Amino acid sequence: MATGTDQAVGFGLVAVSLIIFTYYTTWVILLPFIDSQHVIHKYFLPRAYAVLLPLAAGLLLLLFVGLFITYVMLKSQKITKKAQ
Amino acid sequence: MTKLTQWLWGLALLGSAWAALTMGALGLELPFPCREVLWPLPAYLLVSAGCYALGTVGYRVATFHDCEDAARELQSQIVEARADLARRGLRF
Repeated sequence: MATGTDQAVGFGLVAVSLIIFTYYTTWVILLPFIDSQHVIHKYFLPRAYAVLLPLAAGLLLLLFVGLFITYVMLKSQKITKKAQ
Repeated sequence: MTKLTQWLWGLALLGSAWAALTMGALGLELPFPCREVLWPLPAYLLVSAGCYALGTVGYRVATFHDCEDAARELQSQIVEARADLARRGLRF
């Protein structure tokens, strides 16, 4: 069995993903069918952001992955040069 | 057919259906809410796939099968073996 911290982190991740999924589903799928005067529209950003935010998040993620890979490759190159 | 081509075919099929519906190529008169749901659907698919991936990783982390007793036993056996080998004159 996993330790306490592992369990907390794991179920935390599950909870975060579930929260994001339900919020995004309400935002994208349910909101157009609800009357535009309804109070629930106060709790959601304009619809364009439903695409722009994931796009921005994906680009940021790609940027960080790229930076990380460059950093690791440069570091390993230095080490092999030293070893030679 | 490999898994990759299967996925590519499925995605291409879904994508073309989505494009046809969004561009109005079929000549359907969809009601306004349906059109509003339709255009962010690729982003929705992507976000749900991401949520699924995150949830799977979290679930596997939470239910990972640690064997702490076995690890302790193995560590003690290593210490034992090292002591035994050192007694017989092996230098590490």
